[in-house]
Amino acid sequence: MRRLAVVALLALAFPAAASAHATLEHATPGFQQRVETSPRAVVLGFDQRVTVLPGTIRVVDALGRLVSAPAHPEFSGRHVVAPLHRLARGPYTVRWHVLAGDGHVVSGVYTFGFGVAAPPPTEAYGASGPTRSEHVVRWLYFLALALVTGGLGCRLLVVRGVLPPRAEKRFFLLTGFGALAAIDIGIIGFILRAEDALQLPFARLLYGDLTPIANGTRVGTAFVVMTLGFAFLAALLFLAWLTDRTALLWGAFALALLLTSGLSLSGHSAADAGSSWKSELADWVHLSAASIWIGGLVQLAVVVLPLAPELRRASFLRFSSLATVLVALVLAAGTYLSILRLPHVHDLWTTRYGHVLLVKLGLVALALAWGAFHRLVAVPRVAAGGEGSLASLPRSVLGESIAGMAVLLAAAVLVDSKPPPRGVPAQTVARKASTLATKTFVSGRTPRLRTAAGP
Amino acid sequence: MQPPAEHVHWLFATGFLILGLCLLGEAIVGPDVWRTRAWRAYLWPGIAFTLGVLMFPVMTFFTNSTIHMLAHGAWAQALMFAGAAELGLVRGKLTSPWWRLAMAFAFLVSGTAFLVHEQNAWFFQRSSFLHHLMGWTLVIGAAVPLARCVRPRSTAFGGAFAATFLLIAVMLYCDRDLAPIFGHLSPLAGVQHR
Repeated sequence: MRRLAVVALLALAFPAAASAHATLEHATPGFQQRVETSPRAVVLGFDQRVTVLPGTIRVVDALGRLVSAPAHPEFSGRHVVAPLHRLARGPYTVRWHVLAGDGHVVSGVYTFGFGVAAPPPTEAYGASGPTRSEHVVRWLYFLALALVTGGLGCRLLVVRGVLPPRAEKRFFLLTGFGALAAIDIGIIGFILRAEDALQLPFARLLYGDLTPIANGTRVGTAFVVMTLGFAFLAALLFLAWLTDRTALLWGAFALALLLTSGLSLSGHSAADAGSSWKSELADWVHLSAASIWIGGLVQLAVVVLPLAPELRRASFLRFSSLATVLVALVLAAGTYLSILRLPHVHDLWTTRYGHVLLVKLGLVALALAWGAFHRLVAVPRVAAGGEGSLASLPRSVLGESIAGMAVLLAAAVLVDSKPPPRGVPAQTVARKASTLATKTFVSGRTPRLRTAAGP
Repeated sequence: MQPPAEHVHWLFATGFLILGLCLLGEAIVGPDVWRTRAWRAYLWPGIAFTLGVLMFPVMTFFTNSTIHMLAHGAWAQALMFAGAAELGLVRGKLTSPWWRLAMAFAFLVSGTAFLVHEQNAWFFQRSSFLHHLMGWTLVIGAAVPLARCVRPRSTAFGGAFAATFLLIAVMLYCDRDLAPIFGHLSPLAGVQHR
């Protein structure tokens, strides 16, 4: 009986789809396919009959010029074919929308390259790059990550012993909330990125095909890995709470640190020109140390200091030592990455990336000054046994954590910004500027200059 | 390479069948007999929680529409939440009986997600019909876990609770994309396959 139950549960581990509406089953040329001969048509195959609408398939080149003729249905309406003009070498964007049997307009976007590598669909023609909403969502994602990583780090490395029941409950509430928030904010962030690539209003985005973005981009891969990772982490946290086993918290902490690398592997440090394993490692160290520092401060201010009076002195002193190491790591990795991404000092005041970095550095200075106050003034007093200083600590520590959260906001904007190109020939810049002007004219939005790798 | 759509329904149907049978067993013999072995108390909440965790791969790997992805995300979290609350109650970590409302909430959320994410009408094809049916079963069935909050030891409510899961399991087993329903298949649905 037990074996049967185990086999049945294992069988459930194999996922599959549940699709009951018009779904794109195949496309020619395929998603992000590089073709060596000019294709004569774009063919989309659906799992059911669809109705062709005006402009059902639009294929445009890198300058936004339409290269496709009006589409027509074939094979009992399950295929839609759009003949193509003779193509020049370059990347192409295919935007499609069809009317499904249930009356919903199903839409999608993908890219292919003729003689060149195709860009990811998040860089399809018309996509304008991260918006303000995405900055906010990324900031919230960083906060969730800090709540999880910093919370677990503080519990395991700083508090170490058994927390009083009320403090333990609050620790699990905060950390669990962080894990669930990371899942849901990650979903929102992915949908926002897809919305930008698909260029659809919300009602139509609901029926947009996200497969090319989920399967063909770094953002998509990070979304899949991190959603699954945080779901598993949430399960580990829950089991640790249910069974009172600290060993599970160590597993969750290790997983949280691993997941932090997911952001590094999908961001500038992995995708931009000049990136290497060193930049990815530095980015991971930077983000992990900052998360433990800021999340640890929140945990200290909200859980340990107010609810665990017998642990607060030792915890505060231990956290202060740990924070010194974390801040050193943040600064070392941050300095390396700044030099890598801004090779010239004047980039700081001549580029948008530099401007955001300056704001971030200002906020870092504020957080560091606050931290230095704790290290140089509060720590000696607490170590000497001053009870009065302990009473006012929660608010002061919370203040430092808020300064840290402001740093994360600047970091979120910075991650969504594009560093200046490294050693790009003047001709290329001129060509990109021309493309930018055309894009702006056609889309009415403000696209950004991008390298092949993208943000 | 994605397996056919109906396969996931069958796999999750197996999970719900086991869950429903456990609940039915508990309803028939009574909680005292059922829990003579301590691990049995954890069985059905544990299965619900595990099914929630396993729903996440479905959500992330199958993204053929945004609403489809969101529906699977809602099911995953609702199942995890409800399973976690029941496990907490069994373990004694949660003491308020009102935590049983988590299951009613999960039923409501899951039923609504079924109804919202199904884009076709009832008689489009069999899978659409069953999606509507499962949605309404869960929405109306939310009254059962609600009643269990008030009378947790009632055999009738326990049996009805088990029957809801068994019904959902049967419906999921019957689910098959592009198959006719009552002999009818919408001409827009495409050619029947598999």
